[in-house]
Amino acid sequence: MGHYRTGILIVLVLAVLTVVEFYIALVTHSVVFLMLIAALKAGLVIWFFMHVKRLWAAEGGH
Amino acid sequence: MAASTTPMKAAGHAGAHDDAHAPTETYAERLRLNRLGMWLFFISEAFLFGALLAARFYLWGDTRPDLDQVVGLIVTSVLLLSSASMYIADTAAEHGQWRVFSVAAWITMILGLVFLFGVMIFEWGLFPSIYKAHLTPWDSKYGAVVFAMTGMHAFHVITGIALIFIMWNLARKRRFTPERHWGVEASAIYWHYVDVVWIFFYPALYLIGSVVHLTGH
Repeated sequence: MGHYRTGILIVLVLAVLTVVEFYIALVTHSVVFLMLIAALKAGLVIWFFMHVKRLWAAEGGH
Repeated sequence: MAASTTPMKAAGHAGAHDDAHAPTETYAERLRLNRLGMWLFFISEAFLFGALLAARFYLWGDTRPDLDQVVGLIVTSVLLLSSASMYIADTAAEHGQWRVFSVAAWITMILGLVFLFGVMIFEWGLFPSIYKAHLTPWDSKYGAVVFAMTGMHAFHVITGIALIFIMWNLARKRRFTPERHWGVEASAIYWHYVDVVWIFFYPALYLIGSVVHLTGH
């Protein structure tokens, strides 16, 4: 279970951010604010799920 | 690639390493190139999806059609959950837990299909007997943009499901090991990329702008 802990934590953060952006949209129609939250969510997925850092990993392992 | 690098390495490191290390180094090099190619592909795709987003903001401005918010939230949650199961499949492959991998891969495919049918039924209205949608691709700029954005994204969901199925089938035939499973990693990051695209499409389609109630539909 320990191997999957990071992924589960990130999914929970993404879920919270999705609910937050939904409620922000009810209060304000701010494009900038909603796109900032989307960029934060995308950043989390790219970093933790897509392992972008492996691109410059010297050893080339998984 | 493997054929061209091995002799070069053998010449460059003669005497420094024994032959048993050469295949591992070759795989590592090929893996780095594969990853670079995959990310260049993602960048090229970003221009396509970016153009669709630009079209949305140019044509709609600070407005949006009256899309079903509950449907939007549910399909977004389903895609988010599918990213979690894909992460579990990828991590399970890394640790040689093939039973967990297999279950997680199937959950991802099923959630992908749920997302796809959710869009097809509730946004496109392909099955009017189940749900009657109010947008068509040719009636207005709202329908055109919704169908263009969700259509292109759905195409990537379909190809992602196909990739995951191929990946699962190869794993069933024991083609992957914890040390060598680029096919699993590539399918996983492709699926997560599909999720990243939807992360931007969801607010653009469902949340940003004031609702315009279209008449005559």
